[in-house]
Amino acid sequence: MENQLKENTQWMGARLERKEDLRLVTGQGKYLADIVLPGMLHAVFVRSEYAHAKILGIDTSAALETPGVVAVLTGDDFKTDVKSMRQPVLLPNLPAVYPEYFALATDKVKYHGDPIAVVIARDKYTAEDAAELVIVDYEELPVILDAEAALEPGAPQVHDDQPGNEMFAMTFTGGATEEEQRQNEAEVEAIFKAADVVVSNRFRVHRTGITPMEPRGVLCEWTMADGLTAWITTQRPHIDRLALIDILDVPGEKVRVIAPRDQGGGFGVKAPFFRENVVIAHAARKLGKPVRWIESRYESLMSVGQERDQVNTMDVAATKDGKLLAVRNRGIANNGTGQTGVYWGFVMPFLGQVEMPNVYTWEKGDVKLRVASTNKACLTPSRAFGHFPTRFAVERSVDMVARRCGLEPSDVRRKNMIPKLPYTTVTGEYYDSGDFLKVWDNLLTNIDLPAFRREQAALREQGRYIGIGFACGAELSGVASELLVPMENQPGYGAATVRVDPRGKVMIYGGDAPGGQGHETTVAQVVASTFGIDPKDSIVTTGDTGATPFGAGTIGARAGSYFVSAVHKACADLKEKITHVLSHDLDIRATVEEFAFINGEVIYLRDPSKKKTFREIVERIIMFPVNLPEGEVGGLEATAFFEAAKPMICFNGDFCIVEVDINTGEFKIKRWVTSEDVGNVINQNIVDGQMHGAIVQGLSNAVYEEFIYNEQGQQMTADFENYKLATAADVPDIELTYASTPCVHTPLGTRGIGEGRPSSVPGALSNAICDALAPFGVEITELPLRPSSLWAKIKAARA
Amino acid sequence: MQTVTITVNGEAFKEAVPERLLLVDFLRERLALTGTHVSCTYEGVCGACTVHLDGDAVKSCLILAVQADGHEVTTVEGLAKGEELSALQKAFREEHGLQCGFCTPGILMNMTDFLKHNPNPTDDEIRMGLIGNLCRCTGYVHIVRAVRTAAKMLAASAA
Amino acid sequence: MFPANIEQYVRPQSVAEALAACAGYDAGEAMFIAGGQSLMQAMKSRMTRPRCLIDLQAISELKGICTDEGAFHIGAMTRYVSIANDERLTGYFAALRDAAHHVGDRQVRNRGTIGGSCCWNYVASCMPAVVMGLGGEMKLQAADGSQRSVTAEDFLIAPLETARADDEILLAIRIPQPAGRGGSAYKKWGLVKDALPVVGVCVAVTLDSNDRCATARVALAGLSAGAHRATAAEQALVGTAGDAAAIAKAFDAAANAADAQGDKWADVAYRQNLIRTLGQAVATSAFARAAGHRE
Repeated sequence: MENQLKENTQWMGARLERKEDLRLVTGQGKYLADIVLPGMLHAVFVRSEYAHAKILGIDTSAALETPGVVAVLTGDDFKTDVKSMRQPVLLPNLPAVYPEYFALATDKVKYHGDPIAVVIARDKYTAEDAAELVIVDYEELPVILDAEAALEPGAPQVHDDQPGNEMFAMTFTGGATEEEQRQNEAEVEAIFKAADVVVSNRFRVHRTGITPMEPRGVLCEWTMADGLTAWITTQRPHIDRLALIDILDVPGEKVRVIAPRDQGGGFGVKAPFFRENVVIAHAARKLGKPVRWIESRYESLMSVGQERDQVNTMDVAATKDGKLLAVRNRGIANNGTGQTGVYWGFVMPFLGQVEMPNVYTWEKGDVKLRVASTNKACLTPSRAFGHFPTRFAVERSVDMVARRCGLEPSDVRRKNMIPKLPYTTVTGEYYDSGDFLKVWDNLLTNIDLPAFRREQAALREQGRYIGIGFACGAELSGVASELLVPMENQPGYGAATVRVDPRGKVMIYGGDAPGGQGHETTVAQVVASTFGIDPKDSIVTTGDTGATPFGAGTIGARAGSYFVSAVHKACADLKEKITHVLSHDLDIRATVEEFAFINGEVIYLRDPSKKKTFREIVERIIMFPVNLPEGEVGGLEATAFFEAAKPMICFNGDFCIVEVDINTGEFKIKRWVTSEDVGNVINQNIVDGQMHGAIVQGLSNAVYEEFIYNEQGQQMTADFENYKLATAADVPDIELTYASTPCVHTPLGTRGIGEGRPSSVPGALSNAICDALAPFGVEITELPLRPSSLWAKIKAARA
Repeated sequence: MQTVTITVNGEAFKEAVPERLLLVDFLRERLALTGTHVSCTYEGVCGACTVHLDGDAVKSCLILAVQADGHEVTTVEGLAKGEELSALQKAFREEHGLQCGFCTPGILMNMTDFLKHNPNPTDDEIRMGLIGNLCRCTGYVHIVRAVRTAAKMLAASAA
Repeated sequence: MFPANIEQYVRPQSVAEALAACAGYDAGEAMFIAGGQSLMQAMKSRMTRPRCLIDLQAISELKGICTDEGAFHIGAMTRYVSIANDERLTGYFAALRDAAHHVGDRQVRNRGTIGGSCCWNYVASCMPAVVMGLGGEMKLQAADGSQRSVTAEDFLIAPLETARADDEILLAIRIPQPAGRGGSAYKKWGLVKDALPVVGVCVAVTLDSNDRCATARVALAGLSAGAHRATAAEQALVGTAGDAAAIAKAFDAAANAADAQGDKWADVAYRQNLIRTLGQAVATSAFARAAGHRE
């Protein structure tokens, strides 16, 4: 960490203009749909019209006869030529019942949108024409859509090889054995029996998620000589490559996966391994021509971006002074079919229960989860991965405790906030470093609460209702191997290759593929800071398995935590070599700590006249590697892997102020204020932007978006007219404040941020509304937050 | 098939096109101007495909190429004059008004038109003006700032 | 995603040419396209598959707003943006601007037309209800050159159904100037700003010399019957001074009489409440505009 004093500090925390932006504002970005290969064919999928049905037959004759159609593939083409999607590399190390499935549906379809066939034609309009002509003969089967009903005996079975529809179940507290867990349950029950205050609620959060603006796509080229090159809209190209190797049974030297340089958002939706990857790759192999599929929004909303969808029956025990004692939660998650690789849907609710205790010092917890299979689309990860519903439940419960005790909800939070880190929660989650109270106190400096309460009282006299609502959240900063290996069967380390060129330019290679987070800029700032050069002299390449070190993917806020730390480590290794050679050349005995890398120079601090420019010394080492110190060889490239000693977090507190119109149930957010611990900041603009985006996503999820299936399991919200995203006119400006503590486990003190950030939004917003409507005793336990449902509650309370 | 002549970013293109070819596909695939993006299916809600038709911001996914015959289209590629970026393009870079950039061309086109008609907008007016452009990454805060900054830049250069 | 095959695209220069282009096609196979903001959605989802598309963009007689003896004559191809910016549309005609200013978004308003909206008559749309609320007359021309005028009520039969035959063109919408001082307003509610109306209310009133309501027209948008008149509210408003209590009573009657549906945006009770609250705001505004008050 001391190295930082001798480095360019101007790039850390700077509001540097992003390097990505010049190409993006001029329309020169290269997204998957912009990549064209000569002779490329176009694929359109035929998808199930029914939520649950047997496929009796598929008639592709009319489609095949359409001029311009090259092939029509169905499930049968995949059952024999291609292996099952259920490959070890795509299976978590968690005890779930993983149903078998293939790249295309074979004998059954299990959700509205299940892919049945693919039409490949010379142009995409023709492919759509032909896809309409594929006739599928279905025999409808009973549909099961509700998670709790799915777990009941006698419910229609979604998967023949998963009797009872239970995908996964777990107890998160008490210990590993059933006996320990039962003992824990009894102890928790004893606490509840003795407690002054118990609040019990059934919290229901609807099906919603963070669908990105760029839908998915796959472009595959397969040549006899080189094998498969697959461009995929993916957050984890290296994992995708392993899956393709295993499923298509192709040797690894013949598979290369490239995430396009520009991706239009991911947010977790592009993190799983999808069937379409296999279908398009196999089609390219079979046809000997490049094949491209670009997902339509309709397909996207039918198949991916659906998350949350949980019921959490939560009891909280507290003293009359607002001291939280114990939490008991029974979570039930609606997983859909569960057939999407890496996550199988259930990993999200799994983590959701792990993260549920939030930042409170519970004495004990009793936490269980059941994940049910239904005839809906499989859950796909969405920012605030699994814990959007559990965070909502806890933050609402804390407010209810506060109201019962006649205390300010912000005081109850502060009273129960973990005072000192590190800390391990009742579900075993480790919080590494940070100062929650500092962040919370900083948040409270932005509001004069007593004055607000006076204003609130005065307005109530006038028949106007304002309220303030608080929430907070500890969020993942990267995902350590010790969590990622069990959860997703892959490593959590960050990896970076740093290659210096003889002209003093620095190339960075990383295996994780971003989708708008500005990694090219952030990493360049780190390199500039470390080597004392300008960020423009550093170029970042990501996402190509043929050119980058292995990375598990851009997930869980890994960049600011793991990736940049690996970059820094590799740079630090190279600084050792650079200063070793420079010392030798200067005929001095000095260690790396005695040099400053600043303003393009490498300077011996004891005698600043002894120095060389960065360019001079690196050129000397790479191009003229003679007369080097003993043991050194020329060249300047290093690959480093970073694994934090412990799993890490970041933390945020929010409050919002709303006014509710009791005649219409409409609510207007007057202020939204945050207080964040983001560790040391690299690019302040990027961090700010991440916060804004996350909070608005949280608002959009909590209020406007909802995936709806009708009784027959038909997806009714597969376009943006019906699945409504918040527009700029619907959301407020956001005030961001920071009260950060450097992370103790990363070399730069940085934290990965942004992943879980939406999760505190529904709690803060609904708490504010309930605070406003306290005279009516309205308590919100369900999302979405709609004026119509609020109005009904107010009306009922006034009756 | 019909032959159309469409002027795009000042250059006239004469092409034979199917009657049903969407203008956005004409631009992206015939002319390889891939800056204009597609983010929704048939609903025309997302605004990522926004271009100018005779100077007005419109959604190019809801227009057929044949309808643009004889007209002038401007895409995001036509905003800069050589290497000189437009005020909005500069402002978006300054204010970090984009993250993944997928919605950005549509927003730049819409706001270019918007500022012509509303050169001194309030934040509320900007937000209302942005209804036809969905963004997932930014939460719109920096976008609004960028438009405000661009308005100031344009006013300053006009003065 | 992409329209089905279109065999022919024509861009006639006159109404007669446009109508002649239908010949040779069965009913519904040749379709007129105005702004395309609704029709293109239907074509791209393949809900509709015209063999021939007749583009009205070049027919100048269909565009523009002019006056004749106080009545406004709005060409069918007049875009929302033109209506929204036309400062002549005040008082009795103000609802047109209220509605046009908030249809869809800027891009939609640059393309979409009042004629296209009325001929499409989508269940959740604003312009049909406003045209009906203001007492608009729809001027149509047939292939033989004959013209006819139809009241908005007779024209707007049901969602996606109008009195226009497949080989008729809507030329213009004529909105007569009423006797006396008039004022109108329109407001809608949707889940997001400027969304398609879950409920929309248009009120148009005229005042007598005592500032009492002489005539009242109320049209609702967003209900499953499509645009229709709320006669209970109209009757309740006539003779009143447009005070809050009178308006509240009128729209309570409208809410109770309305056949409101429940769907994912609002249940029946909430739609009824929207009729009350929107009606209150809109009627208040209409009375104020009629009286010439600044709002």
